[in-house]
Amino acid sequence: MKHEELTLSINGAKRSAVFPSDVRLLDAIRRLGYTGTKEGCGEGECGACTVILDGRPVDSCLIYAKQAVGRAIVTVEGVGATYPGGLHPFQRAMVLTGGVQCGFCTPGVIVAGCHHLDSGGALDDGSIKDALSGNLCRCTGYAKIVQAVKLAAQSHELWENGAAAQEH
Amino acid sequence: MAVDSPSIVSTPASRVDALDKVRGHSKYVDDLDFPGLLYCAVVTSAHPHAEIVSIDASEAKSTPGVFAVATAAEIPGENQVGVSTSDQPLLVEQKARMMADRLALVAADTAENARSAAKKVKVLYRPLPTVSDVDAALADGAPPIHEKGNLIAKKQVIKGEMDAGWRASKIVLERVYTTGYQEHAYLETNGVIAVPEADGILTVYASAQCPFYIQKAVARVLGEELASIRCIQATTGGAFGGKEDYPSEPAACAALMARLTGRPVKLVYDRAEDMLWSSKRHPMKIAHRLGVDGDGRITACEVKLYCDAGAYNGLSAVVAERANATALGPYRVPNVRVDTYVVYTNNLFGGAFRGFGSPQVTFAMESQLDEAAAALGISPAEIRRRNLLRVGDATATSQTLPESVGAIETLEQAVARSDFERKRAEAEAFNARSPDLKKGIAIGCCMYGCCLHAGGQFLEGSGALLHVRADGSVNLAIGGTEIGQGAFTVVAQLAAEELGCPLSSVRVVPVNTDLVPDSGPTVASRTTVMSGNAALDAARKVRARMLEVASQKLDVPIEKLAMRDGALSAGGLTRASFKEIAKACYERKVNLTAEGWYAPPRKEWNEALGVGEAYSVYCFATQIAEVSVDLRSGRVVVEHVTAAHDVGRAINPAMVTGQVEGGIVQGLGYALMEELKVVDGKCLNPNFTDYLIPSALDAPSVDTLLIELPFSRGPYGAKGVGEPSLIPIAAAVANAVSFACGHRFTHIPITPERLLSALDADTMIRPST
Repeated sequence: MKHEELTLSINGAKRSAVFPSDVRLLDAIRRLGYTGTKEGCGEGECGACTVILDGRPVDSCLIYAKQAVGRAIVTVEGVGATYPGGLHPFQRAMVLTGGVQCGFCTPGVIVAGCHHLDSGGALDDGSIKDALSGNLCRCTGYAKIVQAVKLAAQSHELWENGAAAQEH
Repeated sequence: MAVDSPSIVSTPASRVDALDKVRGHSKYVDDLDFPGLLYCAVVTSAHPHAEIVSIDASEAKSTPGVFAVATAAEIPGENQVGVSTSDQPLLVEQKARMMADRLALVAADTAENARSAAKKVKVLYRPLPTVSDVDAALADGAPPIHEKGNLIAKKQVIKGEMDAGWRASKIVLERVYTTGYQEHAYLETNGVIAVPEADGILTVYASAQCPFYIQKAVARVLGEELASIRCIQATTGGAFGGKEDYPSEPAACAALMARLTGRPVKLVYDRAEDMLWSSKRHPMKIAHRLGVDGDGRITACEVKLYCDAGAYNGLSAVVAERANATALGPYRVPNVRVDTYVVYTNNLFGGAFRGFGSPQVTFAMESQLDEAAAALGISPAEIRRRNLLRVGDATATSQTLPESVGAIETLEQAVARSDFERKRAEAEAFNARSPDLKKGIAIGCCMYGCCLHAGGQFLEGSGALLHVRADGSVNLAIGGTEIGQGAFTVVAQLAAEELGCPLSSVRVVPVNTDLVPDSGPTVASRTTVMSGNAALDAARKVRARMLEVASQKLDVPIEKLAMRDGALSAGGLTRASFKEIAKACYERKVNLTAEGWYAPPRKEWNEALGVGEAYSVYCFATQIAEVSVDLRSGRVVVEHVTAAHDVGRAINPAMVTGQVEGGIVQGLGYALMEELKVVDGKCLNPNFTDYLIPSALDAPSVDTLLIELPFSRGPYGAKGVGEPSLIPIAAAVANAVSFACGHRFTHIPITPERLLSALDADTMIRPST
């Protein structure tokens, strides 16, 4: 297998390494140290490897790293970067509602949930479940994850109103 | 000394590991790296049943990147991983008995090179006839899978006089129920890393429920002492029983390759490997005969239970033991005969899975009760009300229940909260006028023996090690594992409550076989009780020492001191902080480290009759499922579930509801969606594309009711909840679908295909199209 140097933009930082030419984006991210992104199935069914690529959630197991060169990748380690404490409101909400159990699906759920909130997705149960339907969770039964999206939406508004700064 | 009004116990504290998990910082096995790490790949059988003529690894050995290839000849210790019967080699030499049988292992510099070299191991087989169901396995002249034949074990329960029971009955219902496989589908596949240390010890990092099992299995295969093997649990991405005994197998593989190469070796399965090789929930065939008198009281019950173990015993006989002991559910049955057969086949490897044999028998019993109620013209709630166990009653195994029997409370509360009788009548009226769309609502009840069966009580003891540091912070090591269920948080809550320190001061360290005594497995919904009691024991010892020092320092009698939430008070006035007392203890050379231990009293059990104290205590639950069924597509939607659980005491109510919600969704997958297709011992759908588990869109709303009837030997009264959360739901859903369709479904999963074909045979309720 041919190897080549690839430079990826992950959470705003440029990271380079030599990879096999057919390396999946998932493996490249993980080998660069961003091990928050998980492999659950390797075929785009479970969503544990979800990352944001140029503003859209994608299964990083289904994309060659090459296809992500020159594009902006955000992983679970980066979704909260602009928030106080480095935590997106949805990350805080997942802690509070108990949306986390074993935690292996959690990075993908976090990325998908943050994207839904950040892109102004609807907050009825059906829309939230739709947004999360690509992320399998075997522990929680999803109820507390859906609840966390709603809770985060409330605190999201608080952040945007500047209340976050005061609270901090 | 239990605190009268706890301040940490019974609160919905956030999980101690939640922040790391939402940040993506927690390290699972595949996130760990070591210098010089090699990767292991496994060569498995191409046939479900075959003699091995030869194994040629020469080409694999000379493949670039390969460091070692092992066959059975390279095993320094015993070539054996059978957990309860010595019937299972780590690497087969002469005969393969299932597709998951291992023939050789490869260690290479990358996972890709290891897998590609594994494909170059050449095996010559002489195929044997495949035994692919329990009837064929037990038939005269069946090909023997092992030398002693195909019957692994036979269990029974015998009580009363069957003839008298049948004579007293008004109706007798006889049906055969069958259940399919279920795959655990934890999101993290099996993974281990074996690391040879400079001091000769081998450290195994594992995604696992039972580090002490791994320690024993690895020592056995390597021919080394237990003291030279250390197992540390890595953050574990779900388990559900699937990481009870099974991880010992990949651990032994990685350990062998680590010893052969002198390098750290990682073995992480991809999803297909995991689904093909790991254990599954057993398919069971349950021939059920139930007698009920004119008042709806059960007079007799006879069950013949056949459990398809696959090619090795593993934990199958233990699973069957639980199915055997609790086959009749939470009901008073005066005359009982249960015969349980555990059978070898060449199918998939059966093992532990949340509920451990109970979901299958619960499905059968609850279906029979609904049929009996219908035959008598009484409500499904009423027939249960007349038969459920109460304090002072005896179980099927003739065990009298002295306390904490919440069966009837779970029923009454679930029935009231769900408005069961009204909704049932409405569904009936709706169905009469709706040709294609049907509605159903139905009940499932269960009884689950909390902690291990009497047959496994030699494993029951559990330990803890607790250090209060000089600054008042606390390290706690326990033998029970955190597998997502929240054990670390619950045990930290218990320890903090008992010590009198803030919950935030307690740090539970990863489970490590060096730190605590062999604490048995993290199974059987036993961790809150076992590790919780062990942690309380340690905390009490340290608390007593701290109070003694405080008493001297403040010149206040011990009995006047109270220590809670980090503050020491006397007569309502705060006198010192927990930190200050800890510091004072260190200054006075008082040891603030203590070991905790808990072992329940011995249970009396007669194996031949299946009579005695099968379990220390029982958890009870009632779940009521509301479904709609589209007769054109065969699709069933579970819309709402009301779940009432007797948990003794909820140490963390939020995490209890989390267990209930998760168990219900996993169980409705079992009831409706999840079907492993196995033909002649070969699994045809080892992936999440063709084996469907519930997504968010399949999840019903769940209303959880907690019934708290304390268990006197539980920590603060707690029992367990991990498994009862799943057990009744398939029964409730099957009953609801059967009610909706006017057709008794005797097999789960009720997939759309199965639903339509069952109704095709029943022209009475064909859709109007």
